Amino acid sequence: MNKPRAGWRRLSMSLGAGIVLVLTLSGCAGDDGELNTLEPKGTYARSIDRLFTPVGIIALVVLALVFGAVLYMWFRFRVDEHVEGDWPVQNHGNTKLEITWTIIPLVILVIISVPSLATLQKLNREVKQEDMTVVVVGQQWWWEFRYYLGDNAKSYDPKVDKLDGKKPDVVTAGQLVIPTGKDVRLVVTSRDVIHSFWIPKLNGKRDAVPGRFQPWKIEADNPGVYFGQCTEFCGLSHSRMRMQAVALTPADFTKWVSDQEAPYIPAAASDQAWLAQQKDVAAKKPLTSAKLPDPEITLADGSKTAAGIVTFRNICTRCHLLRGVNEDIYTAADQVSGAAPELTHFSSRTTFAGGIFRLYNADGTWNRTALEAWLRNPPAEKDAYAEGKRGMPNLGLSADQIEGLVEFLMTTGQVPNKDVTIPATEVE
Amino acid sequence: MTVVQPGLELTTGTNGHATNGHAKRPLGVFTRPQSTTGWKSWLFTVDHKRIGIMYGAAALVFFLVGGVEALLIRIQLARPDGKLLSGETYNQIYTMHGVTMIFLAAMPLAAAFANYLIPLQIGARDVAFPRLNALSFWTFLAGGLFLNSSWIFGGGADGGWFNYAPNSGLPFSPGHGIDFYALGLQITGFASLMGAINLVVTVINMRSPGMTMFRMPVFTWMMLVTQMLLVFAMPVISIALFLLTFDRLFDANFFNTAAGADPLLWQHLFWIFGHPEVYILVLPAFGIVSEIIPVFARKPIFGYHFMVFSGIAIGFVGWGVWAHHMFVSGIGPVAVTAFSMSTMIIAIPTGVKILNWLATLWGGKLRFTTPMLYATAVVAMFTIGGLSGVTHAMVAADTQQTDTYYIVAHFHYVIFGGIILGLFGGMFFWWPKAFGFKLSERGGKITFWTMITGMNLTFGPMHILGLEGMSRRIDTYSKGFGFEFWNMVVSIGAFIIATSVLTFLVNVVVSTAKYKKAKANGTYVNPGPDPWDARSLEWMIPSPTPAHNFDEDIEVHGLDEFWHRKYGYDENHRVVRIATAEQVAQKGDAKNVHLPSPSYWPIVIAVGLPIIGYGLIYNLWLCVLGGLLTGGGIFGFALEPPDDPDARGHHDDHDDHGGGELVTAPTSEIEEVAHG
Repeated sequence: MNKPRAGWRRLSMSLGAGIVLVLTLSGCAGDDGELNTLEPKGTYARSIDRLFTPVGIIALVVLALVFGAVLYMWFRFRVDEHVEGDWPVQNHGNTKLEITWTIIPLVILVIISVPSLATLQKLNREVKQEDMTVVVVGQQWWWEFRYYLGDNAKSYDPKVDKLDGKKPDVVTAGQLVIPTGKDVRLVVTSRDVIHSFWIPKLNGKRDAVPGRFQPWKIEADNPGVYFGQCTEFCGLSHSRMRMQAVALTPADFTKWVSDQEAPYIPAAASDQAWLAQQKDVAAKKPLTSAKLPDPEITLADGSKTAAGIVTFRNICTRCHLLRGVNEDIYTAADQVSGAAPELTHFSSRTTFAGGIFRLYNADGTWNRTALEAWLRNPPAEKDAYAEGKRGMPNLGLSADQIEGLVEFLMTTGQVPNKDVTIPATEVE
Repeated sequence: MTVVQPGLELTTGTNGHATNGHAKRPLGVFTRPQSTTGWKSWLFTVDHKRIGIMYGAAALVFFLVGGVEALLIRIQLARPDGKLLSGETYNQIYTMHGVTMIFLAAMPLAAAFANYLIPLQIGARDVAFPRLNALSFWTFLAGGLFLNSSWIFGGGADGGWFNYAPNSGLPFSPGHGIDFYALGLQITGFASLMGAINLVVTVINMRSPGMTMFRMPVFTWMMLVTQMLLVFAMPVISIALFLLTFDRLFDANFFNTAAGADPLLWQHLFWIFGHPEVYILVLPAFGIVSEIIPVFARKPIFGYHFMVFSGIAIGFVGWGVWAHHMFVSGIGPVAVTAFSMSTMIIAIPTGVKILNWLATLWGGKLRFTTPMLYATAVVAMFTIGGLSGVTHAMVAADTQQTDTYYIVAHFHYVIFGGIILGLFGGMFFWWPKAFGFKLSERGGKITFWTMITGMNLTFGPMHILGLEGMSRRIDTYSKGFGFEFWNMVVSIGAFIIATSVLTFLVNVVVSTAKYKKAKANGTYVNPGPDPWDARSLEWMIPSPTPAHNFDEDIEVHGLDEFWHRKYGYDENHRVVRIATAEQVAQKGDAKNVHLPSPSYWPIVIAVGLPIIGYGLIYNLWLCVLGGLLTGGGIFGFALEPPDDPDARGHHDDHDDHGGGELVTAPTSEIEEVAHG
């Protein structure tokens, strides 16, 4: 108080800091973050951005006025001490002024509510059910995407079919593959707790609520990988529940679909025959999901791929489906949610385990280490409550079993286009 | 309300019936405690000032606990792939940070001000129900300790303070953390509800003669609105918590979606409580700011009625905005539109408040003491929170912002920038009234400037992080999303805030030591009744406030009664002094004032509640023990005798109504009776 200069210095310092902050804030749009909401790459994200930017500017102007007023008064009306008898004019209020500054914000709000509600309408307008519906299913801690295509898309009714009615044409996990330039109809739901589906560069988020099938949509202008993150707290591994939208050109997408629709067929004819034989053996000994397949099933020709198939049919089938390999013995996943990622065409994806580990290195080679580490001890790689049947447990696989599985999984699908394969951002 | 007793001597008790009272005193434990000094005098006190101080002390301790939790969060998130906390621990820490800061720090700190100041600002002897007031405090403390004891019993709640179902159900949170959450908040909820009823009755019934509702200080008004909100909001969360407890302990399936429950039921219940809760937190701070600014601007509050009505409007509209927490949950477009509009509307009364504070400052003689710095900072910082709030009201924009750090930034500007800054300003402002000495101004300014720097470094960059797509409630993030730099800045800011809080604690310790030393060697100078040249009734009595508050009732003729007794206007409408504060102020020397007697029972009742809680979690037999304590305590509470030398046999008059009645019969009315 007796050192006014110190106060001034502090003030100018904080003022300087404030200016720096504002400048960086306005410059932060230049930061090329994978989840940046200020860099929209699709129609809907752009609509939102076009709403937020002017409203944000209005807010900053109002803020500047209030800060300006406070700072002005600091300089203009500041006294060090109250002196006896030195009193300002005693002003108790002014009704006209009050009414004015009640009406002005009201008018501002009415004005900005027009584009706000218009954008809301745009986001809420449902995509007409034409040739493609993707049911987006959240569960602890990964996303499933169930594609209904062609006539199936027209006849799929989420209220009736839910998750156990009409069979989807394609099921993937972790990556939502979409064609560019198309409004993709999404139906968002959950198998356990509430999650939230969010690809910031393509659209805002929509909660995945168990038992509800909520319409949403997404559109990407250009091919590429767009990152997403579950944004409703969903328990232990919430931060490790990620996803990507992979946008392909319509031609590439059509090819992707036809690839995905086909079941797994071993490359070698001998393996094909051997697998058919295994299925035949299993058919004669009906299995329940609680019981492991017959341990008598053994390696036929010693090939690693076949060894992987054996392990898959013996162990992985408790939770995972890979069409062409174990659809005959698979019933449901031994999990609280009743589901585990479907692994058909696993190697056509670029990430695994909730979108957090990369399946390919940046140079397009197979990322063996990550997958081996995962198979060796999943809970060490990603937090989960495996003992509570929420997440993949440590199965105690031998080194041979792991090697066989990796070799087998490598052959499960078309290797993705390297130009689109952006290295996934890993947690650990 | 006031019982007029013609000819009754006001400030001294008559002891003609004292022996009579003693003769009727029942046995042993039913005798009321007598100590006026020492720890017993605090444990069994029913004095609103001591209860207020205990609320404040407890809240500050919990504030430190919540602060340490915040620092752990910030160490974890300072760099990508933080390894300090496991995912499991992180979820517990962030949950308990929110729960602690809201329910155990901000709310009780506001309750501290409400308890201490409302009776003083309306010129009353105490609150309407002093024993109930003590019960509120001990119940709050019991609940707070119970909640935090979960750390010893295997870990805190891990579902977030919002604790959404079905993630809060047994399959997804099998530990006991959420049981502690549900039962602990239930107990603190009882405390809030009892306290709120008490204060509403106090404000409505116990105002000094002449103090009409629109002569009450803005602080008392805002507190009244807050308490009304609590009266209606607490039952909602109580019910939700009961349902949750029954779900988890007895498989009631209220929130179990697997059994067909509505997955959004909890969210609605929680936010119907939770959004009014925001205003429950912020209105007290608005009240404090409205008291501080006029004093240090030397101007009356600008637009008093608009200030009051905007507060009331916030209180009403606050009930119609809860679903803006659920814009992306899938509620229908019409509902979303309605809640979007109501959310925008609530910005208007809030804006009116900001502008009225600015208008009060305008043209004033602004003396930037520590309280004034805090009050002005609230005006600026809360505006940031308010404006980002408007950007969330744009639903489409909110679909990008919700559940990101942009929201974390928003509500920390509201809660820290509005509430915590306001409460700190209030502590510096009313400290001399409560303790008889000022906190160091120099220390206060150091605290203020570090706090304001720290908070802007902490919460400012969170806006950027949120817009860059960083989700809330994540225990780690990866390199490559562009979050590294600002997270480091945020963490540094958090430690600057911690430093500022440390400087505050040092200030308290050093100022107290100086005061004690001065008292010991006789150099102590009392700050006087009115150290800041203030305006309302609490400054018309000595500092620290005497146990009996007012020697006699104050006849109130208008808003800022005390100021108008000190100052008048000359013919040119200039302010002239007509009396010094010392001339106007009461001496505080009244003897034998009838005060409500202390009581053993509030603490007994409160101790039983957490035991019932442990019983529900671990062994139902414990509930019997807890139930006996609480139930027995209630009987003791009800059957306790007035036990007062001045009892005069008017049993009904001497207990909970103690302060308000006989002895505080207003002078004017008695004079009228005497003259008439």
